[in-house]
Amino acid sequence: MTTIDKPIMIIGAGIAGVHAAETLRNEGYEGRIVLVDRDTQLPYDRPPLSKEFMLGESSETDISLRSVESLTALRIELKLGVRIVSIDAEKQIAISSDGEIMEWGKLLLTTGSSLRKLQVNGSDLEGIHYLKTLSDAIAIRQKLDGIQQIVIVGAGFIGAELASSFKRLGKEVTVLEHAPLPLARILGDEMGDYFLQLHQSEGVHVITEDSVVQFDGTNQVEKALTKKGRVIPCQAVIVGIGVIPNTFLSDKGLHVDRGYIVNEFGETSLPNVYAAGDCAMWPFRGTNIHIEHWDHAVNHGKCVAKNMLGGDSNAYTTIPYFWSDQYDHRLQYFGHTKNWEATVLRGNMVDKQFTHFYLNASGVVEAALLVNQPKNALAVRRLIKQQQPVDPDLLSNPEVNLKKVHIQAKEDKVSN
Amino acid sequence: MINQAGSLQLGDSKYTFVATSDSVEEGEMIEVTVGKETLVVARVHGSVHAVDGICSHAYSELVDGELEDHCLYCPLHFACFDIRDGSVVEGPADEPLSVYSVIELDGFIWVKG
Ligand SMILES: Cc1cc2nc3c(=O)[nH]c(=O)nc-3n(C[C@H](O)[C@H](O)[C@H](O)COP(=O)(O)OP(=O)(O)OC[C@H]3O[C@@H](n4cnc5c(N)ncnc54)[C@H](O)[C@@H]3O)c2cc1C
Repeated sequence: MTTIDKPIMIIGAGIAGVHAAETLRNEGYEGRIVLVDRDTQLPYDRPPLSKEFMLGESSETDISLRSVESLTALRIELKLGVRIVSIDAEKQIAISSDGEIMEWGKLLLTTGSSLRKLQVNGSDLEGIHYLKTLSDAIAIRQKLDGIQQIVIVGAGFIGAELASSFKRLGKEVTVLEHAPLPLARILGDEMGDYFLQLHQSEGVHVITEDSVVQFDGTNQVEKALTKKGRVIPCQAVIVGIGVIPNTFLSDKGLHVDRGYIVNEFGETSLPNVYAAGDCAMWPFRGTNIHIEHWDHAVNHGKCVAKNMLGGDSNAYTTIPYFWSDQYDHRLQYFGHTKNWEATVLRGNMVDKQFTHFYLNASGVVEAALLVNQPKNALAVRRLIKQQQPVDPDLLSNPEVNLKKVHIQAKEDKVSN
Repeated sequence: MINQAGSLQLGDSKYTFVATSDSVEEGEMIEVTVGKETLVVARVHGSVHAVDGICSHAYSELVDGELEDHCLYCPLHFACFDIRDGSVVEGPADEPLSVYSVIELDGFIWVKG
């Protein structure tokens, strides 16, 4: 049997998996597409879980990713409740927890990521939650009515979004963060301080530089105890302390770091095995990075699917992007940087409408955070794509068009 | 017939005044409200088009996006719609935008509804 006769199998019907399956068919692949997921829910969108769904503004139907009909129309064989426990690239098979052996010609791993677990005394008490799946979100929502005080462990994006949602639902919210400022590792101290103040101005109690060491309660959590001796009464706790890629489907010869390592075409180190989305580590501008965000999962899934059919025709170069909604703030972040050299502010933090740029040593914009400035989104994305040095004075001036902030542009102006 | 509330009756259809012609320049768009609906009104190659102003995929005002020829890009997830018929040119959206019939007459733009 040749590779072509066997189905393309996709493990993980999340954001990347569903978009990849659709792309395979839309690109003209005629063979079988088998899409499996251990979850028993029809594919759904995750970002609303901490936002509209938690607020009760959108329903399960609203957040469904694709209907059964549309998947059927594309002849995508969706198998739910199937957990794959091992793969064998030589035999081209995958084995489920029920012992079913499934053959594939090409395999795409879109297994996503898991939430990092908090290992402290009392972690198994009732009322201690994580938020990754629709069932997690439903479980939290069902509890909310009888709850007044909530502790959120971790002031990352999901923690911040939940703080915002719970506050709007009238709850008393305490956020516990071990770093001195929220989000500072990604956005820098200045923005970290901005978001700290945002939480505080909304009436959320933020405790930084402290961490939970124990939960107390009989069956149900009643308080969180911290390293610095604080005792925080609560009836629910949500833990959001980061994610770990799901890379437990190892096979000899499959290279794994913080994610399955893939090249620019999405190929892993094994023949005919690809990976995309949260579970993959991929080369961006010469460095292997991992991105656990929605837009990347969509685009990586689509791009890798094309390469599975077209024999490495599409190098993946999409600028990483994510958004987050917190209180009356819409955040949009483009690019990727860890060691920026300088930052430039365009707009005004007091107005809650600004863009914060992160520049490297050559004056090239590597990343940008937009706060309530969707109008700049596409222009900023172009700017980051161009990789041309910019003039910080021009960049910081909201009157200057973002197309005209390059160093060259200023020199032209002077010589004119 | 134009009545005082800024609406135009054409046969069975009612059109609402939304903007003057000079406020919608070539290649530009504006956001308007018709009844309870938020719409985007844009001019491409001289013709005025009107479609939903909120993306069919997730909450985002399309007027903050960009217009490139007939493609209207959403600023949140970069879905792209054809402004002429509301169809999806590029995902993640999978639902088209509603299209509203437009009349441009004597320097005024009217949208059905
Ligand atoms: C609450 C929440 C809010 C978020 N908000 C935002 C946001 O505002 N903006 C943003 O950019 N991103 C957001 N994200 C992140 C975004 O949703 C993820 O980056 C995206 O879902 C990743 O897609 P994926 O396909 O790689 O993984 P997933 O969507 O996680 O899908 C992976 C799938 O694989 C399945 N699976 C794993 N292992 C196996 C196995 N062995 N066998 C069978 N099936 C398996 C899982 O059940 C899962 O369905 C949010 C995430 C969460 C949880």
